[in-house]
Amino acid sequence: MAKIIGGLGTSHVPSIGVALDRGLRDTPDWKPFFDGYVPAQQWMRDRRPDVAVVIFNDHGNAFFLDKVPTLAVGCASSYRPIDEGWGPRDVPVFEGAEDFSWHFVDTLVENHFDPLVCREIDVDHGMQVPMELFFGRPEAWPVKVVPVFVNTIQYPIPTPQRMWQLGKVLRAAIESWPTDERFVIMGTGGLSHQLQGSRAGFINRDADQAWIEEIGNDPQKYREMMREDYIRTFGSEGAELIMWLVMRGAMDERVETVHKHYYAPASTTGAGMVVLENRG
Amino acid sequence: MDSAVSAPADGTGTIPETPLLDRKRNIAGYRINKMAMALSDQRNREAFKANEEAFLDSYGLTAEEKAAVKSRDWREMVRLGGNLFFILKISAVDPVPITQIGAAQAGMDHTEFLTERLGKKLNG
Ligand SMILES: [Fe+2]
Repeated sequence: MAKIIGGLGTSHVPSIGVALDRGLRDTPDWKPFFDGYVPAQQWMRDRRPDVAVVIFNDHGNAFFLDKVPTLAVGCASSYRPIDEGWGPRDVPVFEGAEDFSWHFVDTLVENHFDPLVCREIDVDHGMQVPMELFFGRPEAWPVKVVPVFVNTIQYPIPTPQRMWQLGKVLRAAIESWPTDERFVIMGTGGLSHQLQGSRAGFINRDADQAWIEEIGNDPQKYREMMREDYIRTFGSEGAELIMWLVMRGAMDERVETVHKHYYAPASTTGAGMVVLENRG
Repeated sequence: MDSAVSAPADGTGTIPETPLLDRKRNIAGYRINKMAMALSDQRNREAFKANEEAFLDSYGLTAEEKAAVKSRDWREMVRLGGNLFFILKISAVDPVPITQIGAAQAGMDHTEFLTERLGKKLNG
């Protein structure tokens, strides 16, 4: 059966992609941020996963407010970078792990989750940026992908507990997939930031650092936190952090945080990363 | 259960200075957001640049909404139900940094926003 070799959490701030596009990687504003991902990129090269399941939210790019799925799963053979207003970014097309995606959808429905199944869909920075942070800018991505879209923009957004359960079902799908493929799961979004209202620019460095420290071996309180507490603690857009719980819920009860990083501000956001390995 | 049934437990309407995209704002802001969403398409970006007034009219924006868009009044666009993820696309046609948009909403000047809100250390 297939196997989960790592759980990754990361920010997916669009300015990170813009900084790469403009060659700003080594400028004083960005170098400390990108340098923190170097060990994680090495970890990827050493561990050589076959498939990345990427949990992210679309930011008003693939979905408008006319139709908003709470949960959607890509079941396509490929996914193109979408035009967010500035033209599509020059990053490679993502090859889909199409057969696994369908198996995941089957497993979800058997377990009482009801996703929107997407046969054609383009992906925004929510998926592009995590892939670039962990794999750099290769000619072709070294893994196939499964995009999982969670609505974190239009209320009501799903609960943290539900995200955790989604992770459990994702794990069951991977562990019942009859190949020897090696999977990584990326929970993306956050950390603290707020783009809207007079509280715009809100960053909570202490809460962010606690999240990075604790999401590995002390995730219980984050699972029990209410949505409004996410918004209060991490800002309205920081509530995206609930998507890391899908990754964490898919991992063992005991994990080791083998790499971690935090830097603020990346654009208007507290930005961070963890790499978790299962320990039983 | 998250809490009482009468008050949504998702935080909408309960957190100061934080306009969440709840149903009220969704309905109020639908025209602005739909117009802005259209700017994901190059042809629409060109139409917006060629004749902004006509473009806004074609999405049925009210006079108040048009005024907010035309003056690039980010705070007002949000007040009228505009959501940043959509209205940000206006800044792709008429470039403004996201931090400037943040500062406008916070009612701060740009430098003050960078240093006090974001805790950025500015060189020189
Ligand atoms: Fe996001």
